Amino acid sequence: MDKTVLLAVLVPVIGAFTIPLFNRISKDLRNVMAVVIAASTFIFNVVLMQNAFLDGIRYVVSFPLGFDFILKLDPLSAFMATVSSLISLVIVIYSLDYISHYENQTEYYTMVIFFMGSMMGLVYSDNLIWMYTFWELTGFASWRLVGFFRGDKEIAKANKTVLVTFFGAVLMLIGIIDIYMTQGTVVISELKAKEITFLPATLILCGIFSKSAILPFSTWLPDAGVAPSTVTSLLHAAVLVKIGTFVYAKLFGTIFIVPESFSYMVLIITGITALVAGGAALIETDMKRIIAYSTISQLSFIFLGLASGSKLAFAGALVYILMHSIAKGSLFLCAGIVEQKTHTKDITKMGGLVKSMPLTALAFALSAFSVMGLPPFGGFFGKFFVFKGAIETNDIIVSILFFIGAILTMLYLSRLFYKIFLGSEKPNMPREGSSTMVASVLFLAFLGLVLGILITYPFDYASITTETMYMMGVNIQ
Amino acid sequence: MNTNTNISNLILIPILIPFISAFLILLISEKTKYLKEVLSIAVALLCFIASITLLRLVGENPIIYQIPWLGYREMMAFRVDHLSAFLLFAVSMFSTLISIYAISVKNKGYSKIFYFLLLLTQSAAAGSVLSDNLIAMLFFWESMVVFLYVYIYISGEGYAVRKAALKTFLINGISDIAMMIGIVIVGYISDTYLMSSISSNKLILSGWGTIAYIMLLIGALTKAGAFPFHTWIPDAALNSNAAFMAYIPAAIDKLLGIYFLARISIYLYSLNTTMQVILMAIGAITILVAVMMALVQSDYKRLLSYHAVSQTGYMILGIGTLNPIGIAGGLFHMINHASYKSCLFMTSGAVERETGTNDISKLGGLFSRMPVTAICFIVAAASISGIAPFNGFFSKELVYKGTLASGWTLFFYAAELGSILTLASFLKLGHSVFFGSCPENLKDTKEAPYSMIIPMILLAAICIVFGFGADIPVSKFIEPSLSSLGVVVGNIELAGFHTDSLFIIFLVVVIIAVTNHIIGFRLSGKAYKSSDHIHHAPVLKETYAMADKGYFDIYEISRYIFAYFAGIMFKVDRFFDKLIDDIPSAITRWASEQLSRLQSASYRVSMFFIFLFIAIYLLYLGGIKWQ
Repeated sequence: MDKTVLLAVLVPVIGAFTIPLFNRISKDLRNVMAVVIAASTFIFNVVLMQNAFLDGIRYVVSFPLGFDFILKLDPLSAFMATVSSLISLVIVIYSLDYISHYENQTEYYTMVIFFMGSMMGLVYSDNLIWMYTFWELTGFASWRLVGFFRGDKEIAKANKTVLVTFFGAVLMLIGIIDIYMTQGTVVISELKAKEITFLPATLILCGIFSKSAILPFSTWLPDAGVAPSTVTSLLHAAVLVKIGTFVYAKLFGTIFIVPESFSYMVLIITGITALVAGGAALIETDMKRIIAYSTISQLSFIFLGLASGSKLAFAGALVYILMHSIAKGSLFLCAGIVEQKTHTKDITKMGGLVKSMPLTALAFALSAFSVMGLPPFGGFFGKFFVFKGAIETNDIIVSILFFIGAILTMLYLSRLFYKIFLGSEKPNMPREGSSTMVASVLFLAFLGLVLGILITYPFDYASITTETMYMMGVNIQ
Repeated sequence: MNTNTNISNLILIPILIPFISAFLILLISEKTKYLKEVLSIAVALLCFIASITLLRLVGENPIIYQIPWLGYREMMAFRVDHLSAFLLFAVSMFSTLISIYAISVKNKGYSKIFYFLLLLTQSAAAGSVLSDNLIAMLFFWESMVVFLYVYIYISGEGYAVRKAALKTFLINGISDIAMMIGIVIVGYISDTYLMSSISSNKLILSGWGTIAYIMLLIGALTKAGAFPFHTWIPDAALNSNAAFMAYIPAAIDKLLGIYFLARISIYLYSLNTTMQVILMAIGAITILVAVMMALVQSDYKRLLSYHAVSQTGYMILGIGTLNPIGIAGGLFHMINHASYKSCLFMTSGAVERETGTNDISKLGGLFSRMPVTAICFIVAAASISGIAPFNGFFSKELVYKGTLASGWTLFFYAAELGSILTLASFLKLGHSVFFGSCPENLKDTKEAPYSMIIPMILLAAICIVFGFGADIPVSKFIEPSLSSLGVVVGNIELAGFHTDSLFIIFLVVVIIAVTNHIIGFRLSGKAYKSSDHIHHAPVLKETYAMADKGYFDIYEISRYIFAYFAGIMFKVDRFFDKLIDDIPSAITRWASEQLSRLQSASYRVSMFFIFLFIAIYLLYLGGIKWQ
């Protein structure tokens, strides 16, 4: 089992660099290998998830000065790795068709798989320095993916993405160094239940917020969505931004004891983010920017659950991460189909597509319902329990911020669906997308529904994870 | 936990069987005739039988059944007491009748989708009334929002339909978010989500408790369609079909909304006088505002839909009195209203099917051509207007008595005024559709098909039976329900006919309404214009004009507020974009220009200095600690 952790990281990281070699042989082989690597990573993670509650599964390579390379399995990491590798796998399958019209495909597959590998390394790392290293590697992959097209605008947006997240990461590095200086170690499991002060916590938080697109570092995400292909923007919106929430959950939910004012600050900042992003999503007319803003506002809800200090809300936030990844993935991929067929991203130029693209419309609607938090879709439970957290902070301001945030979510998603799929019909109705793409989105859309009806299983996992890992006494309880 | 599997199956039948059958219906080809309909009716009948059995089985002790659900703490807990069983009975009954009725409704969209939605709605409604756990209730309750949207969307084409569907979705969806927050708060302050546990230690209105109650109230009132959250119902009436209107806004939504209102106001909370007055005021305002709007409508279904709102006012008024008579009246009115309003919408659908229009200015003299429909209409209209001895009379009497007993006579007058206007508008409607001269193109209109007539007759029969024999529903449903809610009735007689002072007021009401109709008819010469003297009265005329433009519509008002708010938020977002993008870029550019002027060092030299400074900084940081 120790080796499986290593495999889950090494297979995609090394595998990414074999993709150009396979490309030499044939393009089809390259595509097949990309899917195989992604699928095997997913399977490794599923296996790991089943053993996640066993103690002491770790893989260590020694380095001097306490910088040991440690991969450690815990329920939270296994959960996060499984969710993100599942979404990445669907993305790779969807890309087979979507990306086939463009240049630089080899680089694309290499970077997607490399991204996936870095993500795995990040979630399993038990050393802050190595976590930081993988963190920057994901940033590097995302830089190449946003700059997939070589136009000036795309390059500029790619640079913005990488600069903002890099700036945050540097602040985080300073925070990590501060912890190294004060605590004498950067091995995460040795830092358990250590108290840290406001300053290093805030520095790390800057890194988290810049990765997760929370104010004031939020605007790179919509811009990254505008740049090139939908697939890469999905990778950001559904997977990459979750890195921040994961690190927050891990460090501030299960490892460090932080001052109460710190958690309150997080709640207020994310609450305001929910409003700002929700408002912006109601005004924007670019389809992918709207979905990106919606991601920002939903991330705020996840942070609400993580930072509120309630166990159930923490479990709710984990469920939220799962459901949101699935639903947001589906929304972005639907947008990709629409964009490919209509050749526009401007929702004012669309309308009535439900007639010609009924399956895409269905998948979009089901996913939108899940993000809105309507039962019986999975998103309902996430939203319910993070709201529980909001109320249990016993703070009326936080509750009101997120209440309005939830209303805005419903408004902008209804508007988006209405403008694209209903609205007045325009001439030249496009046809339905290819079967691979439509199958991918329908799979994700129905997965959200099925998980909502069978909520017992994901919720059990989330609550046992919380039960075993969550640090009490951090906040209000 | 009850281990009796037979009983637990009975609880699951009304929830699971429709749910599964709904997906079976999707598999049936749209081309098959009657297969979908027969399956749907059979399922509804099965649930109806199950509900009757449950109704008989519920005794002093409620039936409890729990399924593991959310972790170890929250079970999907069902609990059947008299009130829940009564509601389940009503839900199943209306589902059965509408399944039959909808066979011949033409503009219901694909019948496959219609029956799919009908079965899912039935399942969700059954789940909501049987749930004891508030999370489970919300789960079922909120999932109906989606069905509402699709119901309206599939009824027709065009901008108005889509807009009405969106409006319905948003009003209900947002109120459900409010309700979710309310439930979260209730769980927080009482540390349980089980209604039965909360009721043993009732909540009070203070701090979080007040916020929670208001949030829950918004949910209940929106479902019931009360002022000011009612505005989607008239819009839906114009743009959807009669089967949907008869099923959801007329029956299911009222049943659930009032059920939940009773649960929160009586069962979960012990309210104070302020909230009592607020509730009664909401009831009275709903009655008057909606009936004033109903009076001037010229579309059959839209007119009825405003009455669906107005009648909700009586139920809220009744429950708001917080005394046993009023609550009994509210609950009794709930079931009565569902039966006559559903029947009235069915007549509108029958007329629409046979004549092709719902515009009352184009209808007339249909009594001789559609006698059964007309008689059903008259019975139901008499019931809704509170004419003795139909069922509406008895429930309204109870509401009046309850209001008088609460000491707030003002609301009593408002309710009576509402009755006058209700009767007046039904005189107008009945007169223009079924009496008077028949237009040339409608001369050979035929009676509606049996599938439509049978449900109508059954509902009209309920109006009569619950009227003449008002003690049957009162003793079978209402009194046990009150005991489930924990209301002590004592030895007050809830059923029975009295020629007391209220009866005299009733006679006065009838005389005023009839006189008003005759005046209006004489003034305008046309039955459908018989309310014009009120419509065009000074002040009212301007008010109506503003109402038509949506100035009083909470949906339209909120749209402006949210658009404005979103605009500000967008600017804030742009500001932050400048802050992290433009400003740093500008500073960097400026700084690099300054630096390059100072020294023309090569890239490598610059990098060397940068790393040198970082190294010095790190040593400085660490140096203090390493000593």
